[in-house]
Amino acid sequence: MAMKTYEYPKGREWFNRATKVIPSGIYGHLGPAEGNFIPVTSFPLMGDHAQGAYFWDVDGNRFIDYMCAYGPNVLGYNDPDVDKAAKEQMKKGNLFTSPSYKMVELAELMVDTVASADWAFFAKNGNDVTTGAILTARAATHRKKIVFVNGFYHGVSPWTQKIDYPGILPEDVANNLYIDWNDFDQLQRVFDENKGEIAAFISTPYLHGNYFDNVLPADGYWQKVRELCTENGTVLIVDDVRAGFRLDIAGSDHFYGFEADLICFCKAIANGYNVSCLCGKDFLKSAASSLSYTGSYWYSAVPFAAGIACIEKMKKLDTPKMFKEKAIKLTDGLKAAAANNGFNLVVSGEPALFYLRVADDDTFFIHQDWIQECVRRGVFFAGHHNHFMNAALTDEDIAFTLEVADDAFKAIRPKYK
Amino acid sequence: MTDSKTLAFIKMYAIFGTLENLCELDENARALLKNKKPISIGFEVKDGPAATIYFKNGYCRMEDGCSPNCTIKLPFSSCEKFNGMIDGTVTPVPTKGLVHIGFLLNSFIPLTDLLTKYLRPDPEDLKDEAFFELSTKLMFYLITVALSQIGNHDAIGSFSADHIVDGNILMKIEGGPEATIMVHKHHMVTVKRNIGNTTALMAFKGIKLARDLFDGNVNAVACIGEGTILMGGNISMIDNVNRILDRVALYLA
Repeated sequence: MAMKTYEYPKGREWFNRATKVIPSGIYGHLGPAEGNFIPVTSFPLMGDHAQGAYFWDVDGNRFIDYMCAYGPNVLGYNDPDVDKAAKEQMKKGNLFTSPSYKMVELAELMVDTVASADWAFFAKNGNDVTTGAILTARAATHRKKIVFVNGFYHGVSPWTQKIDYPGILPEDVANNLYIDWNDFDQLQRVFDENKGEIAAFISTPYLHGNYFDNVLPADGYWQKVRELCTENGTVLIVDDVRAGFRLDIAGSDHFYGFEADLICFCKAIANGYNVSCLCGKDFLKSAASSLSYTGSYWYSAVPFAAGIACIEKMKKLDTPKMFKEKAIKLTDGLKAAAANNGFNLVVSGEPALFYLRVADDDTFFIHQDWIQECVRRGVFFAGHHNHFMNAALTDEDIAFTLEVADDAFKAIRPKYK
Repeated sequence: MTDSKTLAFIKMYAIFGTLENLCELDENARALLKNKKPISIGFEVKDGPAATIYFKNGYCRMEDGCSPNCTIKLPFSSCEKFNGMIDGTVTPVPTKGLVHIGFLLNSFIPLTDLLTKYLRPDPEDLKDEAFFELSTKLMFYLITVALSQIGNHDAIGSFSADHIVDGNILMKIEGGPEATIMVHKHHMVTVKRNIGNTTALMAFKGIKLARDLFDGNVNAVACIGEGTILMGGNISMIDNVNRILDRVALYLA
């Protein structure tokens, strides 16, 4: 018997209220206009509460959440150990005139944990630390140009955006150079053409962009990049905001066998408590010290305490190993469900951040149809974004996900004979 | 942050090109051309667009390039001069077909005046339902054609086009006009109908919504959330088209 599907009348009411007082109702990556909610009527718009691997929307629908708030949920929503540490710190105080010693404890833990780190600098969001990394690189090298990999996302500051984005001036991106992922020869050429001018090469550890299958680094790619940057006095920045701690507790550069000069973390540091961290090599510490760079809430102690508890627990559970095993079990099951119904599901990227695409048409209409049928049955996948594993996901959740995936494929089969 | 060359391409293909649709949809336009011999006007802009408009039996169609067989030829020494002609600040001098000056003065200019009436409507006129509908349909064709011209010629628009993969983007007003933006090797061509093989879809729910969008009375991002703009297929294509659409308003302002 086909599964019951969800409806969202209260979510719609809340969204309509939101549009009256908030630009576009829900802006940014959680918003329905980002291209992942197709059609929007099949997706929950407003949440009510969350626990473990699930969240519930305002209509009372439960979802197994494979987006994990786009990454921060790494141990499970409301993890008791992280929440306990946060509550204890809250009793002592969160933000006051002197920074809490918890900041030092978390910095020491980051330096002990992240293989390439000699120091740690805290902020709030991923964009804060990617911007901090660029400022540090420019301060250290006194150079202007930055090399990006096409398909990148490094935040929302003007330097991270593109010339055709609303509000962006050509001057904002005038020093940005672009190359293709895994194309070392192209990178070498760009370095040769801009000798002595490139402050930094910034990249995610692998290509986990949206709208296309994710691509892992070619054998030896990162080692060659490392050597090239060193030879040219260019700062190598790894944006590990999305993948950080999910592949390797010591950093994704460590996972791929090289050392970044600067590495940016955010999402998985504190299981939803708001803190981000830029880690760096010793030779860049002075440049980082010289920056005029701070924020009203960057010294909040509660997220520092939560971060310490979260990192300790990730180490104890060996979450990268757990994520890989669970994700392979899940994605193998999803591929089998597709094949059993005559579809071809492609899974790409690292298992802990798996990316899905139903490959039976180039237009994504079939893919989008299957995704929305899964969501309406209580499994929250995003249309064109990598997913995230969390430690609260159980084998029963995976089994239920596979039932939903099968039912969703069966639901769309008649339309695509 | 606009350039005169892109503007000339928009004025040629999106504005003059919409005369085709005006004649098709409005009997007053057809009346201006009735009982006239077939005639054609060739426009040739140095370092800019060239096209020929053929008038016959109350209808007209545009073809790319200034035909050597055109009845009247209007050359322009620059894009600025051509743009000036449309703005009314430059008087064109035909190099061919002077004897048909009467057609230019008595048919073509009134026809373009009628088009302007629909494309820059008086708010009072929009209260008439038929006028509102026709005006919005013509705006739709104008915008979808302008979009391709900006993607092909404007520096920032070309950056967006460079990120669009090959395929057909169907844009439509539900229950109304449709247009296909064909993209091949980042070059964009607008066909003012649904030609099928849709790779990406952007649909406006109804003519009223389309009008509100064109007039800037509602926000496209909010409409996507509200479900009054539907999108599907290759969303990356739509994303980049939206960035070009942002510049359409700049050029047509």
